[in-house]
Amino acid sequence: MNDDKFVEVKNLKKVYDNGHEAIKDVSFSVKKGDLVCLLGPSGCGKTTILNMLAGLLNPTSGDILFDSKSVVNVAPKDRQIGYVFQNYALYPHMTVLQNVMFPLTVGKQKMPKDKAKEIAEKYMETTQITELADQKPGNLSGGQQQRVAIARALVQQPKILLMDEPLSNLDARLRLKIREEIRNLVKKVGITTLFVTHDQEEALSIGDKIILFNNGVIQQDDMGQNFYLEPNNYFVANFVGNPVIDNFKVNVKDGKITGSDFEINVDDLDKSRFKRDLTNGEYTLSVRPENILPAETGHVSAKIDDVELIGRERILKFTHDGVQARSLVDLETPIKRGDNVNLKMRLDRVFLFTKEGERVY
Amino acid sequence: MRSNQKKAWLFLAPTIIFVTFFSIYPILRAFVMSFQSGPLINLNWTGFSNYQYIFSDPEFWRAIRNTILYALISVPVALAISIMLAWFIFSKVKHKSFFETTFFMPYVTSTIAIGIVFRYIFNGEYGMLNFLLRALHLPAPNWIDDPSMSLTTIIIFGVWTSLAFNIVILMGALRNIDPNYYTIADMYGATGTERFWRITMPQLVPTIAFLLTMNIIAAFKIYTSVYALFNGQAGVGNSATTAVFYIYNKFQIVGTPGVAMAATVILFLIIMFVTFLQRKMMKKIGGR
Repeated sequence: MNDDKFVEVKNLKKVYDNGHEAIKDVSFSVKKGDLVCLLGPSGCGKTTILNMLAGLLNPTSGDILFDSKSVVNVAPKDRQIGYVFQNYALYPHMTVLQNVMFPLTVGKQKMPKDKAKEIAEKYMETTQITELADQKPGNLSGGQQQRVAIARALVQQPKILLMDEPLSNLDARLRLKIREEIRNLVKKVGITTLFVTHDQEEALSIGDKIILFNNGVIQQDDMGQNFYLEPNNYFVANFVGNPVIDNFKVNVKDGKITGSDFEINVDDLDKSRFKRDLTNGEYTLSVRPENILPAETGHVSAKIDDVELIGRERILKFTHDGVQARSLVDLETPIKRGDNVNLKMRLDRVFLFTKEGERVY
Repeated sequence: MRSNQKKAWLFLAPTIIFVTFFSIYPILRAFVMSFQSGPLINLNWTGFSNYQYIFSDPEFWRAIRNTILYALISVPVALAISIMLAWFIFSKVKHKSFFETTFFMPYVTSTIAIGIVFRYIFNGEYGMLNFLLRALHLPAPNWIDDPSMSLTTIIIFGVWTSLAFNIVILMGALRNIDPNYYTIADMYGATGTERFWRITMPQLVPTIAFLLTMNIIAAFKIYTSVYALFNGQAGVGNSATTAVFYIYNKFQIVGTPGVAMAATVILFLIIMFVTFLQRKMMKKIGGR
């Protein structure tokens, strides 16, 4: 028993038959009872990992352990997992009750109908679909189908629940509601859950922990807020955050950081935030839009191209050094389109990345 | 609204005219003719005498009996074999398109041509089938020339010819089944039999219903394969006569169109009744 590493993935690699390297040496672990989001752009390998956990794909090398036991050579049906597909894959010719009972009534360990029905009804109550028992999936709304799919995944009392983009088929408003429901539900059942998504907002709102992938490599494995406040690298800084982070090309030489029209003394930066020594060369200076604000004297001066209202804030859009950048200001700020403003960065909140994307500051 | 409706009639006109002249009119004409006697150019009303004639004609009853037996045996057997073959090709065979094409060949080949080939295969003395049966020390009946075998021969031929269309349609239906349905079943350890009976078969019900209707209607109209197998005859001593054969014979050979049309009306009613019954049954099975 090792509850901190209930699910453990060690040096996992997956090379497809066509030579495509989908997963390159991935290792992570999941605590028992946690809801972990596997986040990343499409094609980053997150579904490949989920399918390897489920046993639908075999890893090329590496190991997967559930509760400290390797499952790489265990058939999917013996892995004690529940799987919710993106399109739910409910059987259209069966009623809701028959769908939920299905896992209990097939295979070697199948149980008598009445016992299966009893268990199915218990989980249908948990997922609040009891009154839909005799309906066919075709008559249900997206949200209801979702709940049937979850009930079916839970009915065998699996130890791990795997969900592949379960919200992507729902409309925006329903998505907000269902993601809350899913979180409450898996917490109530207490099941360890891995949830694949490409939507950072979804991941940030429901995950106890997020693992961000790109090109088959883990970019950051952390608590939600750290992706925002302490991104590991250039990719993470740009993937997480809305509006997206501003990037400025700079040159570092002898203690001075020089942009196209600004200069910052390295001494003005917070010494404790350096990850390593700053050497001379080309870098990217990145700053979240809320940390670059209009001021009397600033680092950058620019003409505002456009002002966009987003609820209680406004985004001031400007072009700097040929690249669009944003400043996130309060709703009451009187700056209009076409105004010339000076913008000042909070130097204790900026990031410096090397050309390779590695974070230095 | 008004002018819109006028335009709609204009667009519908070609179809309406075509259907009226080539489908509705012949049906009505056949119905009227079934109450008339005499040669085509000089028909006169004779009431129900044509019906009285066919109902007392043992030849007619043999034709109907053969047709019904043929439909009731060949259609379910052909459908069962088609489902098995389609499922086998779909789930086990690697070069699917090659086998699909092979199985589709009979459909695009003329029944007459196939029938001539089958005459050789079925030949009692030098046929390939009997050569094989003798090699396996099984009884080798005279498929073509023995009157008691002719219906069996037609059924075997009918099953074989209807496989092509059935398999191609069933393969399409199998391809349309969401592969995730099987993935889930595998994940819960469902056996191959459970996969087939709990997922594949229910998913195929609409397709099977369609094929059953098409096959039964085609089976009741069987004519060409009899003609081809028995060299233009309805088997030795008319042993393999069918409803359409009877109609054709009474119309063209004997020259009593009224009798032929009375038989047509009866065949029409039988097909309608069976189709209706079968639709009701499939609705119950499909449950949707």
